Amino acid sequence: MKKIISFILGTIVALNLSMSVANSAANEVRVAFFLEWPTPNQEDKVKKMFDKALGVPVKWTNFSNGGAMTDAMLAGDIDISYSQGLVPFINAVKSKAPLKLVDIAMEYGMGGTTCVTSNASGITKANASELEGKKVAVPLGTMAEYVFDESMKVVGADRSKMNVIQMDPEEGAAALVGGDVVMACLFGGNSIKAATAVGTRLLTVQEARDAGILGIDITSVTDKFMKENPGMLRTFIEVTHEANARYAAGKSDMNVIAKDAEMKLGDMKETIGGFKFLTPAETKTSMESGNLDGFLKGMGTPSGAVDTSFLPL
Amino acid sequence: MFTQIITFLIFFAIIGCILYGRKLIKNEKVDAVFGNPERAKGGTHWIIVGSSFILLVWLYYSWDIAKAFYPKSANELCQVGKVNDSLLSLKYLFPIEERQFKSTFVIKSENKNINKLAKEIKNSPDIRNQDKDKLLDFIEKTKKTIPLLTNEKLIENNTIVKIKELTNKITWLTEDFQKIGYPPIKSIEEENKRIEAIKKQGGWGASGTAVENTVEIPTIPETKKGLKFDAAAKELKIISDEFFKLRNHNPEYKKAIKNLKDDIKKYRSGLDDTHEIASALAKDVLKIARRIEYASIFPPKTLNEMQKSIIEFDNVQKKEQGNLRLVDIFLFPAGTIVSSGPNCSEQGSGRWLPKPSDTFDKFVLLLKPSVGFKNIPLIWYEMMDVSKIIGFIIPDWIADIVPGQYPVHSSDGTVKPNFKSKVLKVATGEFKLFKIPIPMGHIWDSFLRVFLGLVIGIILGVPLGLFMGLNRFAKGFFDPLIELYRPVPPLAWAPLIISVLGIDNVGKVFLLFMVSFSIMIISARAGASGTQLSKIHASHSLGASRWQILRYVIFPNSLPEILTGVRVAIGMCWGTLVAAEFLAGTTGIGFVENVAKKYFQYEVIWITIFVMGMLGLLFDVTLRKIIDKTIPWRGKG
Repeated sequence: MKKIISFILGTIVALNLSMSVANSAANEVRVAFFLEWPTPNQEDKVKKMFDKALGVPVKWTNFSNGGAMTDAMLAGDIDISYSQGLVPFINAVKSKAPLKLVDIAMEYGMGGTTCVTSNASGITKANASELEGKKVAVPLGTMAEYVFDESMKVVGADRSKMNVIQMDPEEGAAALVGGDVVMACLFGGNSIKAATAVGTRLLTVQEARDAGILGIDITSVTDKFMKENPGMLRTFIEVTHEANARYAAGKSDMNVIAKDAEMKLGDMKETIGGFKFLTPAETKTSMESGNLDGFLKGMGTPSGAVDTSFLPL
Repeated sequence: MFTQIITFLIFFAIIGCILYGRKLIKNEKVDAVFGNPERAKGGTHWIIVGSSFILLVWLYYSWDIAKAFYPKSANELCQVGKVNDSLLSLKYLFPIEERQFKSTFVIKSENKNINKLAKEIKNSPDIRNQDKDKLLDFIEKTKKTIPLLTNEKLIENNTIVKIKELTNKITWLTEDFQKIGYPPIKSIEEENKRIEAIKKQGGWGASGTAVENTVEIPTIPETKKGLKFDAAAKELKIISDEFFKLRNHNPEYKKAIKNLKDDIKKYRSGLDDTHEIASALAKDVLKIARRIEYASIFPPKTLNEMQKSIIEFDNVQKKEQGNLRLVDIFLFPAGTIVSSGPNCSEQGSGRWLPKPSDTFDKFVLLLKPSVGFKNIPLIWYEMMDVSKIIGFIIPDWIADIVPGQYPVHSSDGTVKPNFKSKVLKVATGEFKLFKIPIPMGHIWDSFLRVFLGLVIGIILGVPLGLFMGLNRFAKGFFDPLIELYRPVPPLAWAPLIISVLGIDNVGKVFLLFMVSFSIMIISARAGASGTQLSKIHASHSLGASRWQILRYVIFPNSLPEILTGVRVAIGMCWGTLVAAEFLAGTTGIGFVENVAKKYFQYEVIWITIFVMGMLGLLFDVTLRKIIDKTIPWRGKG
């Protein structure tokens, strides 16, 4: 009996201690990113420019959705999430995760995130109310859900009357091809390509832009990393903006980016063409009073999640 | 209140049952030797200890006990968290929670980087020698900027005074902080405003009024102690911000770095496109120089006083926490409450392990059919017309083979139904009879999928298994097929399911069928081939036919094996179901969990886990009862 009690007490003590062991001094920086989501700074990633600029090795890990990035950041496995969708970030902040938004990775129209209706269903923008009562695939809790909501408002269909099925983009595309759903909302170049092979975009890129449907991807960081290594964070954002400027000047090495994004050069160019990379000054405006600010307020985000002090102005 | 009572009850239950158990061991006279199953019979008191223990661990690690006994502690710890948050950046500079000064670390690593870059430049085959010399010169100059920052003689008087000022501020704060009157009372209006805000901010814990996440920890200080820490945190924040604006940029350093920057800029603009590599390397040198510029590097002894004052304040604030510190250590295991920006949150086990009381509230909320999850109740009933069932049973093609044509609309715009169309109406169930209530909702859907998968698996698997155990042809023919597919984990089929069978129930039930089918075959086959030969011989000599042997000897003998197989299959089916519902779906427990995960609704995630556990248990208990009733000969053959 004594043995059992001492074992239980020992376990409790060990568990309590295990969580409080802190690891600090950053010997490497761990960054999360997406595949099939080309960005100019991937050239710097491949050429190890980040490692040089930050002075410590940078470890890049690819994720399939922004929610998983948050999970990894909370577990202490990721320091910076680059191009996390705004919706997963907002969900995380709403559940009081200690994360901060420090930069805008890019703004994009419906080129990168879109809803595709199958040709077989015959549903287009004109008769979109026919979607009611039918099955649609949406990756809930991502930017695609936001795009879905906004698109439905534009075309005048009632979301609550539809049969919304939670599906990740790859599966959504497969279900659209198989005819199980009449519409799939997706992101990622390859998934959209598979979907548009049997369907058409509900709203064209231009129509979506006119309706003000805008995707924003951000750079988020854990509070701990921000407090501990403000210099590194600043450098990271600076290098990213330098890469964006290089891309704007047409000097980026597209082949390297395409290879790193695991896309074909043509597809990659089409995807990246739909992105708008902001300059530091534009970013600050957007974060303080522009698109991003409006987005955050519209989604009821608690204040204090945005920090503009790391922008290289 | 409720949680408090429960906690005490659990303590008494555990202690009481352990004492009872020990007493029983002493008094009981058992003649069963070791190894006799009789010795494992009974023991309800140990069940109570086991389940109480689980509940206690849950209450403890979800910090529900802290919430029940010290409901204000979260709010106070939030204020302490604010102090820690303000101190954090400063603390990181000193070897307080680290092994070395931050500046030491920066200098060490930048020296390493400088050497690495120098080596790279020296060994690079693509740059001209004159560029190499130039670049190495830049590196040398960068290296020389470090001593300019760490030299005690060079540091400006201004900077020293400023550091002294900040140090004094911390020391004063430390002194004030220990006084009873701290913080000084503000105007009555502000005080009233605060009291008003406190009333609005609500209590600790997720509220039971919405499925979505709501405020977890009230941030406005509610107690005297909280006010104290809150005020100190605000002062510390100002001090910290001021310190980080401070740079040890003396005139000599400024001159050196400006020269270096200008030189590099001039050098780079002088290069044409053919010397891109040299240009990039020059930029790398500049980056190191700028990193050194940005870091807070001071001469070695300059910050000693400041470090001392911070450590002192840290000690004082720990002392001032008083018994709150004990509460933090003992009742907030594996984590604590952390402040970040304007919010406070639970970090550690309290974050992902929701409190039993909150979980219960949310479960009650979800059970309400009007709330449910994503507009579908967890379990409820709906009225369905019996005609739908008839329509489902009668195949639609029956109408097609009825002679005649389907009606065509007439010129006056009406459609006249004929016999053929009436048959179609019956076959498709589009008529009205009477309505009966049938269950619906997430739990029911999941239950039905498991049940269907299991039943189909049993119906097909058991006869095939028996057949394979008794017949050489069947064994030889089916064996390779079964053995090939059996070891494949059912989830390996999952990616194919959507493409082949679609996203409806068919795919999910099929996956579950795949699970139960192989298990049923194996157990039925083992049961059939395990029948004692003497029994078969006995029935033969009594003149039993083949059917009778199968029915009265082999089947009853293999029943124990088959029912054990069913129990195993149920467990496996539940495991597979969740993953199958993760794939695609609009209903089911797995779907609820998957979506809740995306919105970080930890309470809902745990509710789904418990529901699944309970349903699994329910299945198993039912089956155990069936086994005990139907095969009393089990283990006695």
